[in-house]
Amino acid sequence: MNGDARGWHMALVPDTVINPPAGASASLPDVLRILEANRYGVLQLPPMGEHSLLLAVIADQVAEYSHHGYAVVAVGVHGLPGNGLHWRRLAPLLRHRSVALPPRHLIRSGVDAAVEGERLATFLADYDLPLAEQRRWRV
Amino acid sequence: MEQNPPRKVALIASCLLNQNAKVCQGAHYPGVVSPVVEALRSRGYLLQQLPCPELAFAGVRRWWAVYEQYDTPAYRAHCRRLAQAIAPLIEQYLRQGDELILIGLDGSPSTGVRFTSSKPEWGGRPNRPEDDWEIVPRRGIWIEELEAELARRGLPPIPATGWALDMGRFDEAGARRDLEQFLDDR
Repeated sequence: MNGDARGWHMALVPDTVINPPAGASASLPDVLRILEANRYGVLQLPPMGEHSLLLAVIADQVAEYSHHGYAVVAVGVHGLPGNGLHWRRLAPLLRHRSVALPPRHLIRSGVDAAVEGERLATFLADYDLPLAEQRRWRV
Repeated sequence: MEQNPPRKVALIASCLLNQNAKVCQGAHYPGVVSPVVEALRSRGYLLQQLPCPELAFAGVRRWWAVYEQYDTPAYRAHCRRLAQAIAPLIEQYLRQGDELILIGLDGSPSTGVRFTSSKPEWGGRPNRPEDDWEIVPRRGIWIEELEAELARRGLPPIPATGWALDMGRFDEAGARRDLEQFLDDR
């Protein structure tokens, strides 16, 4: 893939961390910036509510990435319903598409945002697919 | 009943938050297209990522293609399904009085807003000479279908522009000026 800058990593993230509610941004790390710094792309999940068709569309995308050498993780927020990840709906959709559930990292809101940011950055930096999978696809 | 103040919301092409969606050799950033995100966030926009139509249809290892190759009933039906998936969220924003804009990807056969790529002769064995497609002033297929779905729901047109990533030679500084002018003129 000459001249291609893709990072081969991405994270499923709740809408809340992309668009923090007014007043809440100080209690959460800047997840978007941390993902960018760690060469991750974003798969934004919808806000809470009924979004079954959109979740199915997102599951299709995760399946395509996961089956072709991309490392996919999920970054949720502790204390949100389903950690903001729609996990009760999303997990069966992923299993149905033969996708192993992505590793999950939960951000704790209301504690030191800088510490949470460092914890997230470490999680992101440490995760990748096994070398054999990387070599198979990332050429 | 107290009403929430209107918000500014940017609907953005999937690959502007995730360059892994790009066709092979098309990714200019590792993940997030930071100049777009910075320009929007610094002006108070919320971000709403749109689905990537090409990825889920032709896959992450798809060949490069032009507008005419994607202009098929099956691809348009796929785009309509995606539009139906995201339209309820967009409708919710609009019904709440939020101010929406759309940032696509100029030059893309799917997500182009002001421009798309065209070459009616493309097809068959993928051995075309480099950069022999043309840029024409037209929406991409996905944007056409998304706008049609919103119109079917009686929703107003959303002001739109494109980040000029797929126009042949990518000029980041020019694309940034262009986007900032669009945002500041609003």
